[in-house]
Amino acid sequence: MSPAIVVDGLSRRFGRFTAVDDVSFEVGRGEVFGYLGANGAGKSTTIRMLCGLLAPTAGDAVVAGARVSTQPEEVRARIGYMSQRFSLYPELRVAENLEFFGGAHGMGGRSLARRLEAVLERVGLAGLGRERTQDLPGGMRQRVALAGAILHEPAVVFLDEPTAGVDPWVRRRFWGLIRELADGGTTIFVTTHYMDEAELCGRVGLMVAGRLPALDTPEGLKRTHAPGRVWSVRGGELPPEQARLRLAALPGVLDVQSMGAGLRVRVDRHATLGADDLAASLSGTVEVEEDAASMEDVFLAVVDAEAQRVGTAAAFGEA
Amino acid sequence: MRRGLVRIGALAAKEALHIRRDPFTLYLALALPLLMIVLFGYGVSLDIDHIPLAVHDEDRSPESRALVDAFTAAHEFEAVGALEDAGAAGEAFARGRASAVLTVPAGYADRLARGEVATVALLLDASDAQATQQALTRADALAQVVTAEVVQARLGGMQVAAPLSARAWTRYNPAGRSALFLVPGLTAYVLAIVCVLLTSLAVAREWERGSMEQLFSTPVGRLEIIVGKLLPYLALGGVQVLLVLTAGAWIFDVPARGDLVVLAVASLLFLVGMLGQGLLISVVTRNQLVATQASTMSAMLPSMLLSGFMFPIANMPGVLRALSHVVPARYFITVLRGVLLKGTGWAELWPDLGMLALFATLMIAASTARFQRKLA
Repeated sequence: MSPAIVVDGLSRRFGRFTAVDDVSFEVGRGEVFGYLGANGAGKSTTIRMLCGLLAPTAGDAVVAGARVSTQPEEVRARIGYMSQRFSLYPELRVAENLEFFGGAHGMGGRSLARRLEAVLERVGLAGLGRERTQDLPGGMRQRVALAGAILHEPAVVFLDEPTAGVDPWVRRRFWGLIRELADGGTTIFVTTHYMDEAELCGRVGLMVAGRLPALDTPEGLKRTHAPGRVWSVRGGELPPEQARLRLAALPGVLDVQSMGAGLRVRVDRHATLGADDLAASLSGTVEVEEDAASMEDVFLAVVDAEAQRVGTAAAFGEA
Repeated sequence: MRRGLVRIGALAAKEALHIRRDPFTLYLALALPLLMIVLFGYGVSLDIDHIPLAVHDEDRSPESRALVDAFTAAHEFEAVGALEDAGAAGEAFARGRASAVLTVPAGYADRLARGEVATVALLLDASDAQATQQALTRADALAQVVTAEVVQARLGGMQVAAPLSARAWTRYNPAGRSALFLVPGLTAYVLAIVCVLLTSLAVAREWERGSMEQLFSTPVGRLEIIVGKLLPYLALGGVQVLLVLTAGAWIFDVPARGDLVVLAVASLLFLVGMLGQGLLISVVTRNQLVATQASTMSAMLPSMLLSGFMFPIANMPGVLRALSHVVPARYFITVLRGVLLKGTGWAELWPDLGMLALFATLMIAASTARFQRKLA
């Protein structure tokens, strides 16, 4: 079976600014593929090109068997898209919004009515079809938007920061839906800048300043980009900055990051440095606990590496 | 093809829901045209009546009073008072108390009695040129009537016929009522503004909200979006035409003497053209504020000034007359006046219908062509 998405050397320039720079990857059918990056890193530009909304300046992509550059109509017929500035029509009822998007995909009549019921049921909004969309809370509106994107049973669904500005509990629930959809065979391409959401993806591509320097499963990324043991260090009498310098100077320490009230210390797996050594290097009562590497560690490590490669802070891709 | 129709249907149905849920759109489309027809119809009357006339009568004779009575009898001039001396005329004008001053010099009655030419003076405030022109015409006519009476009296009641008489029959609007002249023009003017404004907001709103991006991710085509947006507003425009013409017939007794099918076809073409112009503005500006301004400028000014609504096209300087050829309201007004007042039909009006069709086609083609599917 051919992959759902094949991206080959995709680039997009706006004048002298390169938003997406020679990106290549593949996404398998039924996969939940995460696209992680800071604001302005090129996530939305990539998604717009894959949806046939924006023409690439170089390279090409095949989405659900249709070529983005030459068959954008075919692409649009086979995908569902939920844009970042999601745009349901607030003065329309939930069912009216969905009927419109169904109609825009050429659906109508009894089959649309049946499908509409099924989709509302699936996103947990059964019986809410007659509600005005503007009267619903943010989390529900989002599920309506998702329903609109999957109504015509697309092979691939693109979700551009679908959970921006929604509380964690609602986000969890939304990700449950994404998981279910993928289990049903739909390919999901989702962008996010939440690290915890990246953990929920099958594979994650990490975008920095238009490039894609890292792509793997969350575990694979952690192994490659944030190796070693991670210790969480709290307490001590030293001011944080001084404590950070003291710990970073220890042999075998790879990296020290501030984290809430404490510090996260990444240590080479082969070093002999232990919890007691870390505590002893700081004065006062120090609490040291072993922790797991997170996507955040990965993200920071990759961004650092890119910055060194390019040699400027431009790698942070400030929006 | 069938899917295309389904998509257009979905777009049109959605737009109709927007219209139904948005009180401003309904007000703009239905209440505003009626309001404008009533206000303009009553307020903008070009009929000059009750011109305030101050009288400076130095003669104070029965003859001079008869002259003043002749002036005021038909209420075309209204006596607002007597002036004590000639110098007061300037002040009466300045204060706006009078627009005309009639001075009857001492010896008026004596001169008449002696059979000499008696001269009276009529001073007019000409700051309003059009009103002055009409007042002058009325005064001339009145003077002739009085002269005829005097001559008749002098000849001892013998009937005399003037050696030459030109009689004018005014057809189509024999009473010279300005409402009959204004309402057709007003109809075109009001429809032009409202239609351009309605659609110019419709597409710009989708750009501003970001829903255009969502729409572009579906297989909906450019022409489908244009047509889907146009249809509900066309229906609304149809209701507007009926409403405005009914109001014209009811309130101002505007007749409908000609072929109403011609009128219906012309209305349809004019509506498509103006709605298309609004779509073009919307597609180009992508911004509701700019679109509103562009619409009012591009629809209101030409439809008011260059359409023949208020100022006869024949009297315009060459450049403006040439410009008026690209103002669709001009052709629609010709059709409206033709069908409503003159009772004309296809045979006379086909060139105007042709121009309206051309404009409508151009607008739809231009908005589709300028409609960029891709996002910037």
